[in-house]
Amino acid sequence: MAEDAYLLFLGCMIPLRHPQIELAARKSMENLGVSLRESSEFTCCPEPWNMKASSLEKWLLIAARNLAVAEKEGSQLLTLCNGCFSTLTEASHLLAQNKGGIKEKVVKDLSSMGFSYSGKTSVHHVAQVLCGMEEKRVLASAKKELGGLKVALHHGCHLLRPSEILGFDDPFEPRLLEEFVRRLGAEPVAYRGYTDCCGRATLNRDASLEMAEQKLSAMEKEDADCVVVACPACFEQFDLGQVEISRRLGKNHQLPVIHICQLLALAQGEPPESLGLERHKIAIKPLLAKIGE
Amino acid sequence: MTKVNPQFAKKMSQVESALDVRYCFGCSACVAECPAALRFKEFNPREIVISTLLGVAENLIEADSVIWQCATCYKCYERCPQNVHPVDVITALKNISFAAGNAPEGVSSLHKAVLENGSIIAPSEAIQKRRAKLGLPAFSHATLHVPEASGKGGE
Ligand code: SF4
Ligand code: SF4
Repeated sequence: MAEDAYLLFLGCMIPLRHPQIELAARKSMENLGVSLRESSEFTCCPEPWNMKASSLEKWLLIAARNLAVAEKEGSQLLTLCNGCFSTLTEASHLLAQNKGGIKEKVVKDLSSMGFSYSGKTSVHHVAQVLCGMEEKRVLASAKKELGGLKVALHHGCHLLRPSEILGFDDPFEPRLLEEFVRRLGAEPVAYRGYTDCCGRATLNRDASLEMAEQKLSAMEKEDADCVVVACPACFEQFDLGQVEISRRLGKNHQLPVIHICQLLALAQGEPPESLGLERHKIAIKPLLAKIGE
Repeated sequence: MTKVNPQFAKKMSQVESALDVRYCFGCSACVAECPAALRFKEFNPREIVISTLLGVAENLIEADSVIWQCATCYKCYERCPQNVHPVDVITALKNISFAAGNAPEGVSSLHKAVLENGSIIAPSEAIQKRRAKLGLPAFSHATLHVPEASGKGGE
């Protein structure tokens, strides 16, 4: 069952700021019979906005080092974060392309750091793994019907684009996660600005929050019960973001935000009180009430 | 008067993915859905690409440059019919700006944190406690030893 074993790549934000997402991922993967292994040799992926903006070369080298760790472990990587996913996927793409002999340069630097990399590591976002799974297997693990819970999916830019490199789904009209949440008995809602950015990486905080606010308004207009994300950065932008939006922009929203693994864990019947959901800034209670918890 | 610098685009060519900058034909497909262009009059991916190509982009690499408002949403990447990848051009400009010491403070401190701690977040005692309460193992990143000579591009 080689394809069902992954080396879990946690990154920074999930283990060190939102460990409840990690917990839900571990539980839901176990419920699906996916086995996860660990490594203590990983570092930050590194972060694909500011680290990449400061030095593409260092960004690539550090990403390559993480890929090399996985190669040494002989394992495929599983990420729970769009940032980790896009950094590691794009880095392995650039190394495979080897424009201007960049791979040789990176391999040389890696060897001075005590690592080797030949290009064998594959990188998977948990959303890809879930969407690629057989329906009956997902259903066998999901004990609880979500009762038509209306979910506003926010894929996050770095799960969808650049699509030619990330290869997850259509960059503007994605369908896979929609299908997945439908399997769980939830109803994905279409809303204005569906694949727009959450605004996280924009430097000006008001402009950044306006981008999130615009999406939240559109989701609420379609009567969404919650936002479902695939990334801790988007999670923060929408969850903590709603508090900031109220303070800085004077607009009030109360839309619960959860990661796709948390939605899955709930559908699998994991007791909500065991999932650490009380750490979310926007109360999850109304969402739990909808699914009869 | 803006100084035209024919050497400027060459700086860009050091960043492989931004090489196709010369194929821009000014169609503005990258502008229509750009969330930063929508909110900042001075931000326009097409103009950023063309200024870079013409070598009149020195202002874009100065401190407080508008390039830092890019949301890195990659919509321009998908929409450009010429494979120019404006977002990659912007990232390349950010690299040049960082090398010149002009990047915003948050970028420099994150860069430093990654190199020094292998992480953008320091593992506090409080978070380890929270992890333990959730039944999760203690967490830390490995130490990084990035060779001095690497990451020299962009000058
Ligand atoms: S990546 Fe940046 S320049 Fe391109 S569309 Fe998004 S915000 Fe605009
Ligand atoms: S879409 Fe491409 S070709 Fe058109 S203006 Fe933008 S960068 Fe130039």
